[in-house]
Amino acid sequence: MDHIELSLTQSLDHCIKCNICTSACPVAAVTDVFPGPKYVGPQAQRFRHAAQPVPDASVDYCSGCRVCNQVCPTGVRIAELNARARAQIVAERGMPLRNRIIARSGLVGRLSSGPHAPLVNFTLNFAPARWIIERVMGIHRHAPLPKASTYTFRRWFKRRKPATNGRRPQVVYFHGCSTNYYEPHVGKAAIAVLEHLGFEVIVPPQRCCGLPLLSNGDFPAAQSHHEYNVAQLLPYARAGIPIVGTSTSCTLTLKEEAPELLGLHGDDIRAVAAGTYDIFEFLRDLHQQGRLRTDFRPIERELPYHPPCQLRAHRIGRPVLDVLGLIPGLRLRESRAECCGIAGTYGLKREKYQIAMDVGKPLFDFVRASGQDLALCDSETCRWQISGATGVATRHPIEILAEAYGLSV
Amino acid sequence: MYDTIVIGAGLSGMLAAIGRAERGEKVLVLAKGHGATHWSTGCIDLLADVDDPLAGIAQLAIQHPHHPYALAGPAMIEQGIARVRAIGEAAGYPFAGSFNRNLLLPTALGALRPTAFAPATMIAGDARQLRDGRPTLIAGFAELRDFFPPLIAANLRAQGIAAEAAQLTLPPTQRQHDFSPVTLARLCEQPAFRANLGEQLAAYVRKGGYARIGLPAILGLKHATEVVRDLQNRAGALIFEIPTLPVSVAGMRLYQILEDELLRLGGRIQLGGFVQRAERISDTLVAVFSEAAAREQRHTARRWVLATGGILGGGVRATPDGHLHETALDLPLQTPDGRAGWFAPRFLNAHGHPVFQTGVRVDQRLRPLDAAGQLVYENVQIVGGALAGYDPIREGNLEGAAIATGWAAGQA
Repeated sequence: MDHIELSLTQSLDHCIKCNICTSACPVAAVTDVFPGPKYVGPQAQRFRHAAQPVPDASVDYCSGCRVCNQVCPTGVRIAELNARARAQIVAERGMPLRNRIIARSGLVGRLSSGPHAPLVNFTLNFAPARWIIERVMGIHRHAPLPKASTYTFRRWFKRRKPATNGRRPQVVYFHGCSTNYYEPHVGKAAIAVLEHLGFEVIVPPQRCCGLPLLSNGDFPAAQSHHEYNVAQLLPYARAGIPIVGTSTSCTLTLKEEAPELLGLHGDDIRAVAAGTYDIFEFLRDLHQQGRLRTDFRPIERELPYHPPCQLRAHRIGRPVLDVLGLIPGLRLRESRAECCGIAGTYGLKREKYQIAMDVGKPLFDFVRASGQDLALCDSETCRWQISGATGVATRHPIEILAEAYGLSV
Repeated sequence: MYDTIVIGAGLSGMLAAIGRAERGEKVLVLAKGHGATHWSTGCIDLLADVDDPLAGIAQLAIQHPHHPYALAGPAMIEQGIARVRAIGEAAGYPFAGSFNRNLLLPTALGALRPTAFAPATMIAGDARQLRDGRPTLIAGFAELRDFFPPLIAANLRAQGIAAEAAQLTLPPTQRQHDFSPVTLARLCEQPAFRANLGEQLAAYVRKGGYARIGLPAILGLKHATEVVRDLQNRAGALIFEIPTLPVSVAGMRLYQILEDELLRLGGRIQLGGFVQRAERISDTLVAVFSEAAAREQRHTARRWVLATGGILGGGVRATPDGHLHETALDLPLQTPDGRAGWFAPRFLNAHGHPVFQTGVRVDQRLRPLDAAGQLVYENVQIVGGALAGYDPIREGNLEGAAIATGWAAGQA
């Protein structure tokens, strides 16, 4: 029995049935189809056994936002119980084609981005095409899909003239699928900031972190991605070179989601996990060590900021507020909404789209009420969801930091 | 680097944090999760088994000079509660009551529970009013578990209160399953749901001439005062809420107004931040480490408040081999000698069980002491249930002692 399995089994007894999780669950708040974390988690778990059929499929409506873990007064790992239960369902009943496709964000991105991206984007903006996709694939016609980029981040990075002036401390950048195929500008901002801070940035080969596969229950495929990434990143982790990422869900997956859900606890896996940082966590550490440049241009703005579920699951506080709080004039107003609803691929699904929109409503109201034309969020799918629902532009906080440093991206 | 980090987000921790943030300090509240406030009635108990709580506290402080009330002192008790009441008032969720006379409010079993201050939504349930001879209706929904109007009414009748019971019909709603107190509270904030509820209550009042109606404490999460006012107008009778079993909506409201206030003052809250060890230089606490993905997070501050609760709140844990330990900083505990001393022989022992008085022994400034009476940390204060030498549930002072010591730590 591995560490998480042990903690999961024990946590059944740690659950005191107080219902705090169900009261805080944003999904149970808006729909009856999800009875709440307590029921599908620690309670249903008592009826789940390896050799027996899955007792209840409602766990599939867990969005994986982990608000339950965050509020639980006794430390039950409810979201992990749910993710493993979903994988058991998938292993038993198979995975719908739709989930197989949307869980492979690397493949989808590779097919969409490039010189033909305008055509892809046009098609995905074309209502009849979306109607067909909904009918055939089960992806809701109004669900927010990102715009494919005409070039990939990796291609840009390879072609640029590297900044070389003597020996500089090194840092590895894990860009993730979204930066590579949809938002290369986020990666460019990250490179600009890291180089401005005196680092040489290395971008090793990498695959999708596997989170969409994990959250859709395809654990074997996720494991192969994770093992590939660990093999690529391990030499750096062993050499003490930090691995930083702008996609807070990728970094969470490398740190914890993949090892824990897949039960991988070898030294190599641990070394990569321990060497991985969310980029603002890394920058905050630099600041605490007195190594962060603070030659900021003032930005006289007040902006809404949503700390996404995936960031909160790192359990590192609000590094974006800590770091961007150093910029003169900039005031961030933190959203207190539980979740934007999208939860990666959850809100794309035809049967879950409305739930996701209802879950996100308090956040959308908050962003609209701010009266600003820009909102900040660390997670790509959340940014797309917020912009899709409100029409307000969204950016990764690293882009604001680059702007404050006066870096052109 | 924070000026003050408070560990624990219950009443005592929030009061300490609000106090320090008001002084312009940079404050962080680190908490494992939501906790004791969400389980509580949402009232402020000062002292049970006395008619005059403040006089009782003065007496207690003389008899037990190490009691949290004695350490905090009467001024902190009054000021802390005044602050909570002011926060409630400003949030449109006022508290009523008195330092000198306990209210007696019905529980979900129909017992009468002494408390000093209660939200305005509960106040019409005071037994002194209920005993005026005019009929009271206790109503609920069959769909809500653990709230049985006939049982409550029967027990109130046994105590001389003219109470009757009714089961209401759930107003039409999209929701079909699992009506938790929170689900119902959200529904009560919907005008159509409330209008239907009001019509049903008005019909009972017309038929039975009820002066008051007791309902489960589900009358709104964010706008409870307005919900109650609206229902009173529709029903033509006074309405009072009766606290439910956890999760307690009234407890959630209390937590929420305190959280709002702390954030308004510029404080920060980090939930899911389970503090598991400390770093010290001599008798100064310099950092704590909270559990996080892949590694711990280190937090630094100049001063610290430990507000993690006692055995109920999770600040004190027992190991399988019979040791009690303090979970965040591993402070020395004042505890019964050996496991055999934890419990009194009788379950309903009049003086409670010694193990529930387990906690951290402190000096006059609430700083932790070891078994020899030596100061452990000069920059740490202990508040609320983590303190040794009292049994908050049995004494009926959970909220009062938490607020008094929390407020004291926020001021000193």
